[in-house]
Amino acid sequence: MTTYGAVSGVEYRKWLMAVALGLLYIFLYAPIAYVIYASFSEDIVWPFPPSLTLQAYANVFNDSLYGDALINSLKIGVGSGVLSTLIATAAVIGLLRYPSRYRTALFIVFLSPLFVAELLIGISSLAFNARILGLSGNIFSAIAANAVEGVAFSFLIILSQLVRYDWQMDDAAMVFGAKPLRCFWEVTLPTIWPSVFGAFLISFILAFNNLEISFYNLGAIPTLPSVAWGSLRFGLGPELFAIAAMTNALVFTIFALMYVLMRTGIVKFGYRGT
Amino acid sequence: MTSLEIQAPEAGVPARWKIPPQLLLIGPGIIFIIVTLLLPLLAVVVFSFWKTESYELFMDWNLENYWVLFREPAYRVFLVRSALGALATSFICLVYAWPVAYFIARHGGRYRLLLVLLLAAPFFTGVILRIAALQGILGPGGLINMALGMVGLQPIEALMYTPVAATLGHVYLFMPFMVTAIYLSLVNFDFALLETAKINGAGPLRAFVEVTWPLNWIGTAIGLILVFIPCLASAVTPRFLGGPKSTSFGMSLSQQFGETGTWALGSAMSVVLFVVSCAIVLLMGFTINPRRSGFTGGRR
Repeated sequence: MTTYGAVSGVEYRKWLMAVALGLLYIFLYAPIAYVIYASFSEDIVWPFPPSLTLQAYANVFNDSLYGDALINSLKIGVGSGVLSTLIATAAVIGLLRYPSRYRTALFIVFLSPLFVAELLIGISSLAFNARILGLSGNIFSAIAANAVEGVAFSFLIILSQLVRYDWQMDDAAMVFGAKPLRCFWEVTLPTIWPSVFGAFLISFILAFNNLEISFYNLGAIPTLPSVAWGSLRFGLGPELFAIAAMTNALVFTIFALMYVLMRTGIVKFGYRGT
Repeated sequence: MTSLEIQAPEAGVPARWKIPPQLLLIGPGIIFIIVTLLLPLLAVVVFSFWKTESYELFMDWNLENYWVLFREPAYRVFLVRSALGALATSFICLVYAWPVAYFIARHGGRYRLLLVLLLAAPFFTGVILRIAALQGILGPGGLINMALGMVGLQPIEALMYTPVAATLGHVYLFMPFMVTAIYLSLVNFDFALLETAKINGAGPLRAFVEVTWPLNWIGTAIGLILVFIPCLASAVTPRFLGGPKSTSFGMSLSQQFGETGTWALGSAMSVVLFVVSCAIVLLMGFTINPRRSGFTGGRR
């Protein structure tokens, strides 16, 4: 009887936590559902009662501003994502593989961008570029400044998986004559790729949609967030809602695909159970 | 190519011209952080002792900027307001994120990664759009209050342009960071320890307080920092959700670099913000006991 009671207690707590997760998803996605809904409505300030139109979508493809903004955001996202992932992967491997008495200090160095607010990163790189280097706003400084945060997040994500990594696998590969690079490609990367991919994804998203860092580094170059920021004064354009809706459609198609792959067990994304 | 061979097992010979591999791996990152984070922050510290005249910074060492921050009560009010808001947000996120992260780590099974990615996906929609949508849901003409009006109830005043609405916005924006940080800690946590605790007679609450919580404190502390720091500096959210009584330190700071163009004063504000952030991080750092962190230091 007691065993039965304990089991149902566990079950009860499990369901309670599941409900908490469900409510969080609803909270997180309600505004996104609103954005998607509003992108189809004629008047986004008073979108009720519904009167639907595709006008916003037509405008997106006709107005070059949105295209430029999207391309710039993609450039910053991909550039910063690749840069962050490369730096962080190398750093995590360097720190975990080789013992160093400065290890703790170096961990702190790589995590330190997490302790600096985006606003400060943006403003300090603006001040540094403009006053010390004499550079005006350009996309490369925006990529670099966004990657500061990306490096820290990537470092955290890759570190949290690599601490469990068994380096003896690498040693074994090297005993059989594999060079370090080959060993990385054929032994390490296949095991840790979900976290490397996750790190890229997170640093991509952060940079793609970053307002505060990009805004101060770019000057007049438009990105999606800066266009949104600029248009706030006159009320948000429904075109921005339409772009967000299309982005979400793409993301959720990918997620659905991932779900199918996980369900059928074709790709496990790093999960080691059955 | 020779530098790569140093790791080969037969490379016991002292290598004179070879860069140690760990330096090759860590070095670029260190240089990157110095150039893109440390030097700009140092520049801001220097500028905070300079002056701005007609939108131009020029070198004239003085403490005037800090004196202004100290003398004008408005800046103190902004700072305290931002700090209290950040504290409230961190607390709410902490309490709510734990069960959620625990569920994903313990019961998520093969879908764990997908469940976490679902927390990250809202970031694909820009902050401004999500804030505008939140405004559309919470605001005077918004979904909630309109629904209440239709049923004949009074609208909830607390949700319209108040600090409460701003805090709700912050919880909305930063909760995913908290959940992810705790989750990343919990996936590395050995849940078998809970069985041991149970066998030794600990109830679920005691097992949590004495085993799960302390062993995942580093992840939790990182989560708290990830929520607190951006909240403290937040400028966009209070501006759109907070109404007239929510001017934050971050809003005032970004104004110095925008509309008013007083970069020197803005630099001093940045230094204050940075010092407060560092104090919080150090405070959290002191609570971390590496021996009870569950981190065994890499190689195992």
